[in-house]
Amino acid sequence: MLTFAFRKLLTLVGTMIGIAALTFLITNVAPGDPARLVAGPNATEDMVATIRTEYGLDKSLPEQFIVYMGELVRGDLGTSIVTTRPVLEEVMRYAPATLELVFVAMFLGIVIGVPLGMLSAVYKDGPLDQVTRIFSISGVAIPAFWFGILLQLMFSVDLEWLPVSGRLPLVTRPPEFVTGLLLVDSLIAGNFSTFWVSLQHIILPAIVLSFPCLASILRVNRAEMIEVLQSDYIVAARAHGISSFRIVALYALKNAMLPTLAMIGLRFGWMLGSTVLVETVFDWPGIGLYAVSSALSSDFKPVVGVTLMIGFFFIVANTLVDLAYAWIDPRLRKA
Amino acid sequence: MTALLDIKNYRLDIGTFDGPVHVLKGINLSVNRGDTLGIVGESGSGKTVLVRSVLGIGPRNSKVVEGSISFGGQDITNLPEKDWTKIRGIRISMIFQDPMTYLNPLFTIGRQISDVIAAHEKAAGAGVSSRAARRARTEELLDQVGLPNPSMLFSQYPHQLSGGMRQRILIAMALAGKPDILIADEPTTALDVTVQAQVLDLINSLVEKLNLTVIMISHDIGAIATVAKRCAVMYKGEIVEQGMTQDILNRPQHEYTQRLLAAVPDIDVEPERVAAQAADAKPAKRSNLLEAIDLKKVYRSQSGTDFTAVNSISLAVKTGEIFGVVGESGSGKSTLARMLMRLIEPTSGDIIFDGQNISGLSGEPLRQMRRHMQFVFQNPHSALNGRHTIGDAIGEPLRIQTNMSRRDIEARAEALLDIVQLPKMFKYRYPHELSGGQKQRVCIARAIALNPRLLILDEPTSALDISVQAQVLDFLQELRSELNLTYVFISHNLAVIRQICDHTIVMKRGEIVEQGDTEQIFLSPREEYTKALIESGRKTSQAANLQV
Repeated sequence: MLTFAFRKLLTLVGTMIGIAALTFLITNVAPGDPARLVAGPNATEDMVATIRTEYGLDKSLPEQFIVYMGELVRGDLGTSIVTTRPVLEEVMRYAPATLELVFVAMFLGIVIGVPLGMLSAVYKDGPLDQVTRIFSISGVAIPAFWFGILLQLMFSVDLEWLPVSGRLPLVTRPPEFVTGLLLVDSLIAGNFSTFWVSLQHIILPAIVLSFPCLASILRVNRAEMIEVLQSDYIVAARAHGISSFRIVALYALKNAMLPTLAMIGLRFGWMLGSTVLVETVFDWPGIGLYAVSSALSSDFKPVVGVTLMIGFFFIVANTLVDLAYAWIDPRLRKA
Repeated sequence: MTALLDIKNYRLDIGTFDGPVHVLKGINLSVNRGDTLGIVGESGSGKTVLVRSVLGIGPRNSKVVEGSISFGGQDITNLPEKDWTKIRGIRISMIFQDPMTYLNPLFTIGRQISDVIAAHEKAAGAGVSSRAARRARTEELLDQVGLPNPSMLFSQYPHQLSGGMRQRILIAMALAGKPDILIADEPTTALDVTVQAQVLDLINSLVEKLNLTVIMISHDIGAIATVAKRCAVMYKGEIVEQGMTQDILNRPQHEYTQRLLAAVPDIDVEPERVAAQAADAKPAKRSNLLEAIDLKKVYRSQSGTDFTAVNSISLAVKTGEIFGVVGESGSGKSTLARMLMRLIEPTSGDIIFDGQNISGLSGEPLRQMRRHMQFVFQNPHSALNGRHTIGDAIGEPLRIQTNMSRRDIEARAEALLDIVQLPKMFKYRYPHELSGGQKQRVCIARAIALNPRLLILDEPTSALDISVQAQVLDFLQELRSELNLTYVFISHNLAVIRQICDHTIVMKRGEIVEQGDTEQIFLSPREEYTKALIESGRKTSQAANLQV
């Protein structure tokens, strides 16, 4: 198991290098002269040339790549033109908000999707199955930004139950920074009113983000459960007198969880990407919103930084899924 | 004395899309305490449905039309699910056919058996005993079924064990509740010959030691004969004959039983082929169709240790002959067969088909070459895609390898169905609507669709019933002369090999132990291993057991 984990870790590093190379290439393939962009529209040729040397843009592409990778290894993602602060620092500042949103959304997706999928499989073609089918098809079909605005109109504007946007009201002082996740930090600080307020803020964006993910987890889990429930070892477990509940919730579910886990890993990456939309709609101060506002002001270092960050989280999540696979399935541990 | 289990005029229908199918047609059967009853019948005869009904796990959509099943005086015909918990697995328990698929792959052996124990204790209302107590009981059970080192087994997973060991574990699970009746559903079918004998011995010794009442169902009448004193023969949902096993074996009354007994291949009977060859004084000199030279396959595991599955095998298959490959499981037969077609890449060595070295081929030439050699797999149930119709399955090679139009392919598929003696209308059916024998015919039809010259048959009959096996073997021989085919025929069943193969190689641990003319090998084996193999084949041969 340890060597398995170690090997996975090596793959993680390899993939990370691949992502870095890809982002480097994309920024260099993109049209426009970065030096001219930095210098501004009124710059003279001399100023552009100076900036080009300063940023190392006059070197050959491989040389630039080596410099770039060197900077990455040292944790230097460059400097934002707009804020003139290091990109890494800014990404780290915004990342917890995004992660908090994604975690809550993923939590909803799993705790609702898995049991619903399981029940739909057990009561296949029954009323519940029909309802979840409609539910999951709409989940995949509805565009996130539209669904977000719909929820805002209903719960915030009409019913006034929940705040429209943001992470905390301006008047609320955020709890002391520990993890950066407000829900966790406020609990650590013992500040339940802040916890409650931040929960109210996160619930709508989390629902919007989790809806498609929940739908696909539900469908995959349902399909797998149906398959597994027909397998021989389930018949055998029934014949040996094991209770139906135990068969479904333990014997069958554990087997059905393998493909579901793969779906969860994929959906995690998808969610990180979707935060760009959802955070814009809900004015959520995470890396998605940061990337959008940077892109709008032609500030590309932060965009690359966010891309790398999302890539990193995605790979980590999928490495965890791989490890969970081996933890669940003893047959994979040897490989 | 009232019978422990009494089945009276039991009729069961299964609802299907096309209306009800009468699966059981008025079954009358009674079992007394201490009985050993065998139920023989081919697949589709309804024997599995019958015993599963006894356990209340009959197929979905099934409906009892008439009759009753009573157990220990209690009517259990339409017992509600909650009352079953006191019976199922505890008073009546079951051993299943395929130990590979009936154990949950994600839980340890110990966990699975202790769970069964816990479920039984819960059902008895006595409260679940401690983890340690259950572990002790589990290890005791494992010991009882003759498994070495129970404490180590406790924390192992199914995939770490052999088929024979897994079957013993299933038996241990079935014994966990000290059952009144033990139902064994084809307990040896999926096992190797030598392991079969061991498992049957185990069941016999348990019957004696625990005074068990056993109902064993099998299509293998030889296996039934070694365990069951009484025997019932099922055919198309009816019991056509029942009585003492000895009487039925010696004086079968019903026409089906007679046919069944006649179909059992006998390792000691000289095949008709030999007489025919003797009559044909000058056997034609034949050329080699397929040659393998120094073929080798080494698997390297991630930890760096090498496993040689096939070690330097050279052979020559002559045009028009049936070339037999025999050996126990793990001897490398299937690896060899797959390498001959390059479904598995050989580590080294050459394969020469019709004078052309195909080991270096790739892409289009390899694809073209594959037209001439086709493969028939062991298990027809998994060799057909359940979501394709039979017509699609047979037409597939034609779609891939030829430019034939849809209509031509359809016509060819019909013609092929005709060749394998199945109705044309079968092309609209799906695999699950066919019996095992029919499916294997479909697989053969698919394999001959492109008029190949060589068929590689990997245990083509071992997943089939004996009577069906006999039909398929006859049919294969007919087909060979009709279409001018050459076969490489792989089997672990020596009787079958002797019956149909011209030339045979005996394999052990990836190497050829002995090869030569089949009759010569069977009549005067040179190697000790071959002698031992034939001897154990003779001992477990179905025919031999019939003369107990």
